[in-house]
Amino acid sequence: MALLTSLYENPLLQNIISWYLVLFGVALPVLLIFWLIGLKGFVELTKYEKGTTFLYKVNPITKIAFGIVVMIVASVTIWWIGALLTLTILPLYLTLNNGLKKFGYVVMLTISSLVGSTWAIAPYTPPYILQQVFPNQQPIVVWVWPSYFSAMGYVPDLTLQALIYGVQTAFRVTATLVAALLLVVTTSVSDLFRSFTKIKVPLAITFSLMVGFKTIPKIFELLDTSIKMQMLRGLGYGKPRVIRTFYLIYGGIMAIVPTMVYLFRGAKSLAISADTRAFRAYQSRTLYKEPPITKYDYIMFGVIISLIILAIVTNMVGFGRSIPYVGL
Amino acid sequence: MGFNGITGAVNEPGEIPWEIVVIYFALALLFAFYYGKKSGGLKAFTTLDLVYIGIGAAFAVVWEFYIGSFIGRFLPSTPFIGVGFWGRMVIVFIVAALVRKVGSGMLTLFIFDLLSDIFHYGFGGEPMFFIYESLTYGLFVDIMIAITGGKLFGIGYVPKGNGDNIQRATMLTTVLAVVEGGILGFLWAIPDPIFYDGFIGPFIYAYAPNWAKITFHLEAFIPGDVVFGIIASILALRIVKAVGH
Repeated sequence: MALLTSLYENPLLQNIISWYLVLFGVALPVLLIFWLIGLKGFVELTKYEKGTTFLYKVNPITKIAFGIVVMIVASVTIWWIGALLTLTILPLYLTLNNGLKKFGYVVMLTISSLVGSTWAIAPYTPPYILQQVFPNQQPIVVWVWPSYFSAMGYVPDLTLQALIYGVQTAFRVTATLVAALLLVVTTSVSDLFRSFTKIKVPLAITFSLMVGFKTIPKIFELLDTSIKMQMLRGLGYGKPRVIRTFYLIYGGIMAIVPTMVYLFRGAKSLAISADTRAFRAYQSRTLYKEPPITKYDYIMFGVIISLIILAIVTNMVGFGRSIPYVGL
Repeated sequence: MGFNGITGAVNEPGEIPWEIVVIYFALALLFAFYYGKKSGGLKAFTTLDLVYIGIGAAFAVVWEFYIGSFIGRFLPSTPFIGVGFWGRMVIVFIVAALVRKVGSGMLTLFIFDLLSDIFHYGFGGEPMFFIYESLTYGLFVDIMIAITGGKLFGIGYVPKGNGDNIQRATMLTTVLAVVEGGILGFLWAIPDPIFYDGFIGPFIYAYAPNWAKITFHLEAFIPGDVVFGIIASILALRIVKAVGH
């Protein structure tokens, strides 16, 4: 602590380290994740692949219900239940096609979300909220920001309690994130389409949604290709690895408009092919095959009901939501 | 404590009266239904429009939750900068420019919310966000389409008498795009402070409304949103031309 105190009491060092923390304390973990996950990883995590294991056989509606219940449980219970849920759902990725790879990507995404969310919450949480969260604790100051940082909304002292509060709140986000992506990677667009038709969502909305659903992984693929093409032309050639990352980001931004134009131009062929198959020619749609409710769904229903019971019980024994979200 | 931490606090000192919020959303909904009925509602969209809306919403999700949120972390967090939000604005304006039918703004925001629920939030805060985002951000775009008679950002506008003077026509279109984009950007800066800081925040989390914060947020959001509204409208003109629609 004495070392830290001597660092932030020197104005020059305080400024240098503070800006380092702002820029790289946030950006560096993200960059590391970007190097490790990359756009390929995002394609992997947002794209459906055919599979035969348990989760592929569950009805899409059941998976949506599971996601909603995880979200509710994480938001009405104490933070460590959200953390436990995250840690329980993560190994499910191992059961998928290419399980180890997907598991690796999703673990990195979770870590990146945790770091990012913690850093997005901790410096801004005012002391009076921390006092409510940790009522009988003396705040331990970890770092003191330069006074002008208050213009960016920073609380002058970064305390250990603020960091812990950041991590606790971040775990609520990760539980829903990993549950939501599980639906995305295990459900085919056509199954989701059938399920939405079954619960009578208007066809126009379902159709746009499905186009979006299909397009998200495609956007990552196209951006990846476009960045590679720019690299081939010599963008960031011969530059050190750290600087090249900034070229990568620059290339990514430059790739956005061409990707958009490419996709919007392709929209015409998709629309024509849908129209030639008499899309929306009739009021109601008849389906060849409806996603069945199988024994796997009943197992999931069991899990969902247990989660709801867990939420009720934890609230009754005093482990309900204890973190104030005040002002966030 | 209410359900799911929602306290349902209304009429807190400084909170926007709930009657005003209800009246706004009721009128907005009435407008949506009235125009929907007049123009044929969801059926009025061609399949191509629906594809544009789907692609646009997907792009907004990719930007707001993956690319934009990473870029945003390189910048100091201040209410003056909203990388994720600006990106969404640019994309929604482009989709609106491609479709140019009343309802396209609202439907794009609606699909964006649905997709972000599936990919990110897990249906947290629904159905509130469907109503809130579609009937504020989406509705503003649709009202602009209605006012301009479907010639949003000057697309398809032919100046009287001088239609054959291409240079003058292009300049007029650009001016129209800049003005309309600027106005829309200004409008997009309003809902978050007014409805979120002034009503939804106190309603859900029961925090005390702070009008100094609301005014500061308004002042902080407007410059960036206006600039990006203008950039979005010019970009929309270019992309509509490139798509050849």
